Amino acid sequence: MDFLANLQIGFGVALTVQNLLYCFAGVLLGTVVGVLPGIGPVTTVAMLLPISFTLDPISEMIMLAGIYYGAQYGGSTTAILVNIPGEASSVVTTIDGHQMARQGRAGPALGIAAIGSFFAGSVATLTICIAAPPLAAIALNFGPAEYFSLMVCGLIAAVVLARGSVLKAIGIVVLGLLLGIAGTDVNSGVRRFTFGLTGLADGIEFVALSMAIYGIAECAINLEKKDEQAEVTRAIGRVWPTWADIRHCTPAILRGTVLGSLLGVLPGGGALLAAFGAYTLEKKVARPPRTFGNGDIRGVAAPESANNAGAQTSFIPMLTLGIPSNPTMAMMIGALMIHGISPGPRVMTERPELFWGLIASMWIGNLMLVILNLPLVGMWVKLLRIPYRLLFPAIVGFCCIGAYATNSNATDLFVMAFFSVFGYLCLKLECEPAPLILGFVLGPLMEENLRRSLLMSRGDPMVLIQEPISLTFLIAAVLLLLVVAAPAIQKKRDEALQE
Amino acid sequence: MTAARVLWLNCRMTIRAPKDFWSGIMFIAFAATAMLAARGYSLGSAGKMGPGYFPMALGGTLGLIGAILVVRSLFAPGEPVGRIHVLPLSIIATGVALFGIMLEPLGLVVALIVVMLVAAFAGRDSRPLEAVALAVALAAFSVGIFVVALRLPLPIWPSFL
Amino acid sequence: MNTAKLIRRLAPALLCSLFVAAPITLPAAAQSYPAKPIKLVLPYAPGGATDVIGRTLAQYLGETIGQPVVAENRTGSGGIPGTDYVVRSAPDGYTLVMMDPALIINPTLLPSVPFDVFKDLQVVSRVNSSPLVLVVTPGMPAKTYAEFLTYAKANPGKLNFSSAGIGTTPHLAGEMFKQQTGVDAVHVPYRGIGQSYTDMMAGKISFAFSSAAGALPFTKDERVRPLAVTSLKRAAIYPNTPTMDEAGLKGFDVDLWYVLLAPAAVPAPIVAKINEAMVKALALPEVKTAFAKIGAEPVSSTPAEGAAFIKSEYEKWKKVLTDGNIKEQ
Repeated sequence: MDFLANLQIGFGVALTVQNLLYCFAGVLLGTVVGVLPGIGPVTTVAMLLPISFTLDPISEMIMLAGIYYGAQYGGSTTAILVNIPGEASSVVTTIDGHQMARQGRAGPALGIAAIGSFFAGSVATLTICIAAPPLAAIALNFGPAEYFSLMVCGLIAAVVLARGSVLKAIGIVVLGLLLGIAGTDVNSGVRRFTFGLTGLADGIEFVALSMAIYGIAECAINLEKKDEQAEVTRAIGRVWPTWADIRHCTPAILRGTVLGSLLGVLPGGGALLAAFGAYTLEKKVARPPRTFGNGDIRGVAAPESANNAGAQTSFIPMLTLGIPSNPTMAMMIGALMIHGISPGPRVMTERPELFWGLIASMWIGNLMLVILNLPLVGMWVKLLRIPYRLLFPAIVGFCCIGAYATNSNATDLFVMAFFSVFGYLCLKLECEPAPLILGFVLGPLMEENLRRSLLMSRGDPMVLIQEPISLTFLIAAVLLLLVVAAPAIQKKRDEALQE
Repeated sequence: MTAARVLWLNCRMTIRAPKDFWSGIMFIAFAATAMLAARGYSLGSAGKMGPGYFPMALGGTLGLIGAILVVRSLFAPGEPVGRIHVLPLSIIATGVALFGIMLEPLGLVVALIVVMLVAAFAGRDSRPLEAVALAVALAAFSVGIFVVALRLPLPIWPSFL
Repeated sequence: MNTAKLIRRLAPALLCSLFVAAPITLPAAAQSYPAKPIKLVLPYAPGGATDVIGRTLAQYLGETIGQPVVAENRTGSGGIPGTDYVVRSAPDGYTLVMMDPALIINPTLLPSVPFDVFKDLQVVSRVNSSPLVLVVTPGMPAKTYAEFLTYAKANPGKLNFSSAGIGTTPHLAGEMFKQQTGVDAVHVPYRGIGQSYTDMMAGKISFAFSSAAGALPFTKDERVRPLAVTSLKRAAIYPNTPTMDEAGLKGFDVDLWYVLLAPAAVPAPIVAKINEAMVKALALPEVKTAFAKIGAEPVSSTPAEGAAFIKSEYEKWKKVLTDGNIKEQ
């Protein structure tokens, strides 16, 4: 049994006192930076690199990886408690997670996020053990055309995810795409929609946009509500999810895990699409579906499982191919090279202790995160007892620091001020922000990949349907669109008949 | 009553779905701005797209969706828009912009205290002393966490001191 | 490595960040320089192999100059915001910037840059030299540079080459190659050269002038084929790969260098002190080893040599950009 022998090597490495300590340091630090605005795993890993050069490469990888997936846990905490997504992948968690918090069910929401993440993390770790090479092959088959079609599919999924009018949801996605492509165009170098501001040359900053809409606009809305304070403090409720909750969520966690493990392998937006996809899937599949958006616990379980599974499997292209799927992975490749290790297919055979040790440590790290986070749930929930009149200036203050610290760019604050007004109007007009965020993140990737694929095919659009994977995604997108449109058409017919 | 106001009142009577109507207007406004700004970017062709191709296509689509929403809102019934409270929102947004103006010259402590006091002003039941205490406490906490512990490049004090 | 050592290493950095963040604009006395920690601005995104150069330099320059050197990433397009920050900082020698060829490419590439490289900044020393590597997709029949050139000429307009974006060294090296050989190939920009390797392994990208750091993981197990390096002498990490010059393209020299710069108004004695410490730091074997792992070699210079170097680089790329009609708007 190769597999068992490998695991044995892995746990042998990961369970040494030193590596356990570094693993703990990593996940702890990850949780902290996940909760704090303005500093994400990328910055943290960058700051730790010079210190970690002196470490043993295995300990270093274990710690840096811990920061990366630990931050996923931390990000969902703020998404649930104060409606601020730490990262793009926890945007969907705000939809039902924050609703639950307002209904006094923050405890179960945080609990299920931790449990779902742990389960997903464990399964994804096992997946890496068993299927890293074949999964890596999937990533290799993805060229620009495939990415473009996958993103079309993802955007249509975002439409499904929205409540209310389909047309409005499509509009919001298109608006997100437009906002996303602001800044210097990769293909031509033209600076688009910068309105002469050099601060916008790199486009609209994601942190500023999401904090404006989720943090600041939400504050303004809350201030209008009478007795808001009473509503939040009234019922803190249970701290733990019940068995019934867990049973209720099990299918959602399973589906989220599978989707996350698969999509996480794809460099560029894989984990993000996984979270959105998982939520959309639940909304279509789970029964009864009506409660989604109003604090359905499955709406937390599915995306949280998916993004954590995705965070684990995004190590596959890095470890087995040497391809960075996101900036944090790029840094880890840099770190490995400093130790004279070239990430690629040979790492597994030439440095098995590194490969399997890292994988085993990820499982241990996930376990640590659950143990670390579940007791913290009680503490976080107490945070909600703080009167809103004190909480909201603090939220505004943290959003400001976060928006500035991301790029040390004062323009981001004006962007945030502008989009907080915009976000307020969106909320008032029932235009949901989650599809906007997905469009925003995918917009530039979609355009880049479309233009790249057409550049490579010398302008022949047929390339999008000649590649089988690309064709599959496009067909799926059309089917998905029909699924979305069908109930709307049906409803209209019913209305017409009634009148 | 001016003619414009009469026209507006007439329109308002025919708008049956105000939320859709105003969403449509918002989309059209964004689309128009985008397409105006994108005029200067070369379109290229479908084969070799220029930097203007995608923005124009997206702007056109968004404008079209906005127009459909507006037209539809005159016929299909929908919900009214809730009351827009201009004051708290504009106070907070101004606070955020102030932070942007003040941070680099005046430093984190001053900028953060100002934005938090301004924000507290937006709340109805804020208490002045409490707000000041909270602002000072958070400023101290932020300097400790973000600048000292995490070493983020934020100026603490005014640059002229 | 134990925790105590880690804390000892971190403590001064934590303390000094207090000082750095509260700039005290006392007139800098050259004899007492350096009296406080020095800030080294790295104007590109944290991470990646290039960040390693800046952070390694900060660590060892701190040792040779006798005060901690704190690296700080100030990102933004083309490294302009980070460099501009240093241009506008107090000319006391406590704020320095390390920049790559974008420094002298931007003035030609972009419609406007907020500062004048040659008037507002002065070179303290060069930092390193690292060649680019010409890599080709494994499916290409060419095994040597000469075969590649024949193949490329026989297939005009059919090949694609990738880059890390418009106006980056991999892009300009490709353009220079096209201009000097007459090869016709389509430029496909990515957001980083690492991203393009998937497409290169799949044969969608035919060749690239990649940074050595980016190429190393893929050339080591022959998933892409290195044909030549772009320096005038062979690179230590590619001892068996000929230079472009050897292989037939005489004088082809592209370097992904970094230089250390200070605001132009920093007094000469202070610059001389930093330069002295730089020369010492770059001669350390630890620095050599750290740089070598990502395919770079430490190269120090006098301020005057550094200034002449960036001037000649400016002229070289200006010609390539103008001839290739490459311009951002």
